[in-house]
Amino acid sequence: MNELDDMDALAAEYVLGTLAHADRVEAEARRAREPVFDAAVLAWERRLGALVEVVAPVQPPPGLYNKIRAQIGLSSHVVSLKAREQAIVRRANRWRAATVGMTAIAASLAGVVFWQDYERRLMPTQYVAVLQADKALPAFLLTVDTKANMFVVSAMQKPAEAEKSYQLWLVHNDMPEPKSLGVFDDSEMDVRPMAEGKMHDMMMDGTYAVSVEPKGGSPTGLPTGPVVFSGKLIKATP
Amino acid sequence: MTSSPQQLDHLLAGVARGDEAAFAALYQAAGAKLYAVALRILRSREAAEDVVQDSFFKVWERAGDFDPKLAAPITWMAAIVRNRALDEVRRRGNRPAADVSELDEIAGDDEHPVEAIGRREDVERLMRCLEGLEPDKRQMVRLAYLDGMSREALAKRFDRPEGTIKTWLHRSLAQLKGCLEQ
Repeated sequence: MNELDDMDALAAEYVLGTLAHADRVEAEARRAREPVFDAAVLAWERRLGALVEVVAPVQPPPGLYNKIRAQIGLSSHVVSLKAREQAIVRRANRWRAATVGMTAIAASLAGVVFWQDYERRLMPTQYVAVLQADKALPAFLLTVDTKANMFVVSAMQKPAEAEKSYQLWLVHNDMPEPKSLGVFDDSEMDVRPMAEGKMHDMMMDGTYAVSVEPKGGSPTGLPTGPVVFSGKLIKATP
Repeated sequence: MTSSPQQLDHLLAGVARGDEAAFAALYQAAGAKLYAVALRILRSREAAEDVVQDSFFKVWERAGDFDPKLAAPITWMAAIVRNRALDEVRRRGNRPAADVSELDEIAGDDEHPVEAIGRREDVERLMRCLEGLEPDKRQMVRLAYLDGMSREALAKRFDRPEGTIKTWLHRSLAQLKGCLEQ
C-alpha cells in the first residue's frame, strides 16, 4: 500500500477535518505561503469533495437569503453610489451651466431640487431623491433599490455649524407627525433593509425633509430647527 | 440536487460578473445542501446560518477565482463552508451542548441514498473506494468529513489512543488516494 508523505498527510487531514484548532491555523498559514501545500489541499478537496453528495439538503431559515443579499447589497452600493454621485454632480453642473441668468431656476436650486437621472445608468428598480442646496454637490442622496430591497441614505455634506446635526424625516399625510429616519453629523452613508408594509408605501410616496437640529438630533423627537432640504423619490427611469 | 455541475458552473460564472440573478439562482440551487453540510458539523441552526451567510458572501466575492477545471462547483463551495464550519467548531474547542430537542429535529443526519444522486461519476468512484476500507475505517472517515469529528473525538468514539487514530486515518487516506487514482 502506498503511504502519504508528511505534507500530503497533513493536507489530507486538514481537508478531512480531523486537525485540532492550532494545527488548522498552522495549516491555513502554510497554504497561504506554500503553493505546493495549497495544491495538495486542493487535490484532497477534489478527492473527498464528492462525499458531501450524501448529505441530504436541509432548507435554511427563510430569512437567510435576505441577510446575505443585504450584506452584498452593502458592498455593491458602496461602489455604485460613487459612480452615481459623480453622474449626478456632472448633470447638476451641466444644468446649471445651461440655465445661467435664469434667476427663477437659480432660485429653485437653492431650495428643492429633484434630479431625474437621464444618464440612463441606473437600474429600472431604483428610486432616488436628491436633496440639494445651492452647491455643486447634493447634500443628501436617498436611494431605494427595490431589487436588493435596500434603502440607502448618503449624507454628502455635514452641517455648517459644528455643534449641529442634520436629521432626516419622512413626512406623509397618513402620519400625524414626521418620522425620524436618522441623525447625520458628517458625510456618511447608511444602508438598511427597506421597510415593509404601510411604512414601505409611505416611504415611496412621502416627502423627505432634512432639518438642522442640536448635536445628536432633535430633543423632542420632532423637527425643531429649520428644514434645509426636502424632496420626494422619483423613479430613476432607465 | 437537480442542478448539474454545468448549470452551477454557469451560475458561478454569472456571479463572477456580479450578476445578482445568477447569485440568487445559485443560492436556490445550492443553499439547502450547503446549509445541511454546515448544520451537520456545527449542530446548531444559528451557527450554521452564520457560516452559510459568510460563505455565500465569500462566494460572491471570490467567484472569479473558481476554476471549473480544478473542482466541481459544489465541491468548491462546500470546501468554503466546511472550512468555516470546522474553524468555528475547533475554535470553540468542542461542540456546544446543543438542545436535545433541536438535535432530534435537525434532519442533517439524513443521507441521500447514493442512487438518488444522479450518478455523478466522481461520487460513484469515491463511494466504491470507501467501500474498500474496513468498516471501522470507513465510518471514521465519514464521521470526520461529514460530522467534523477531530482526532480527539474519534479517539473517544473508537476508544483508542489518538496516535492510533492518526495512524488509521493516514492509512485509510493513503488507501483512498491509491484507489481513486486507479
